[in-house]
Amino acid sequence: MVFLRSEEHLVRWLAANGWEPGASMGAETLNELARVWWWSRLDPGWQPRTAAESQALLDSVGLTGDFWRLG
Amino acid sequence: MDTRDLDVRRHVYFSVVANGRPPTAVETADAFGLEPSKAEASYRRLHDAHALVLFPDRVEVWMANPFCFAPTPHRVTAGGRVWNGTCAWDALGITGALHCDGEVASECACCGESLALRVEDGELVEGGDVLVHFLVPARRWWEDIGFT
Repeated sequence: MVFLRSEEHLVRWLAANGWEPGASMGAETLNELARVWWWSRLDPGWQPRTAAESQALLDSVGLTGDFWRLG
Repeated sequence: MDTRDLDVRRHVYFSVVANGRPPTAVETADAFGLEPSKAEASYRRLHDAHALVLFPDRVEVWMANPFCFAPTPHRVTAGGRVWNGTCAWDALGITGALHCDGEVASECACCGESLALRVEDGELVEGGDVLVHFLVPARRWWEDIGFT
């Protein structure tokens, strides 16, 4: 997962590496996802999430569709 | 991953926050009164369960996500330290995990130009125009987490 200046830079970066595009979002959406995804990481009683729980977090910030299916 | 493994994982994460680095397996063994081989086995089980990531060639913590212990392009100032974020997602995740404000100093993957992002009270207040790209679909993230 990388940061890029713009769509133009994304296109150039993909072409330079011969990669097919994946999925893009703005940094605000990633910040929303990062916050909910990592919020409990340091909780003393942390337990691994189920795949369904992780999927629900992706869904909660609008990351839906086949690319975002965990399994 | 059993109860002892969860205790070891908690020890790793708390050590990261306290010391800025993960404990070695020997240090963890000492903390729990274990043989080093038992702590190493616990590290491996946590790696296999994706609860942390070991370096490919040794039983040493590479990532206690979102924190990374090898150089990356993502430097995060938060909670009184400067951290490495494994990737764009983890870089922003460090402020989430620490429940604090923070700044991400990163770069454009294409041209290397510096990019600055800042989080305050959970909101992105600088860097909202930065684009994020995921190359790898979610179902394949753990096939090669270093590349992902």
